[in-house]
Amino acid sequence: MSKHDPEENEIRALLGIVDFRDKHVLEIGCGDGRLTWRYADRAAHVTAIEPSAEQIKLAKDNLPSHLKGRVEFYVAALEDFAFKSQSSMFDLVILSYSLC
Amino acid sequence: MVHALEEIHRFLKPSGFLIDIHPVAEHSSIEIHQNGEIDLAGQLKVHQWCVDFEQADEALAEIVKRGMFTIERKGLFDTLTYYDSAEEMGTSLKESIQKYTRVDEPVEEEVQHVETLASRADELISAAAEGVELVLREKDLISRLRPI
Repeated sequence: MSKHDPEENEIRALLGIVDFRDKHVLEIGCGDGRLTWRYADRAAHVTAIEPSAEQIKLAKDNLPSHLKGRVEFYVAALEDFAFKSQSSMFDLVILSYSLC
Repeated sequence: MVHALEEIHRFLKPSGFLIDIHPVAEHSSIEIHQNGEIDLAGQLKVHQWCVDFEQADEALAEIVKRGMFTIERKGLFDTLTYYDSAEEMGTSLKESIQKYTRVDEPVEEEVQHVETLASRADELISAAAEGVELVLREKDLISRLRPI
């Protein structure tokens, strides 16, 4: 079974340029939540969206208990989420491997 | 992609910011690690998803040019993926090619290249002693952008 980024270089790079304190975060294309879990305890609240229902199920099933209530996962593509969402809602938006 | 970034600009508070992370494709390499030494088994070719990464760069440049965002910080970092075998690596990379390539793009040449890389890696692993690791090294770009 392959192991991706066991050195945790991605989260270190992220924490190196972001202070998550008191931030309301939107993560677009969160996949199975592999990155979300690593920063969510530092943020005020995280909304994480992903078009794949299978990936969101994995993210919800594996969400650490201490993050429940702080993280919300939704099956949604950006355009659908945008249609229902208000302006100026988030302090921080994260795109990790999801702009391309 | 530019439209997505326009929507993100709308979501963000004026004091907020956007973080983008995506690979710099030309730096992806297959390595054999043993006793602190690194042997290069080969480099991945520029394939379709790399084109998408280039388009991501272009989209970020476009929204900066339009005056919607300014880039505050940028940095590069490595992400490493460790495989148990050359076969596992080959299968994983071929699945990625199939997943990310557009329907009308031919993939045979890229699949063949991955198979060649996997064979080369397998030879290096077989020739080495115990304790070798097969690693895919990718270079990623992280950017922090502030809405204007």
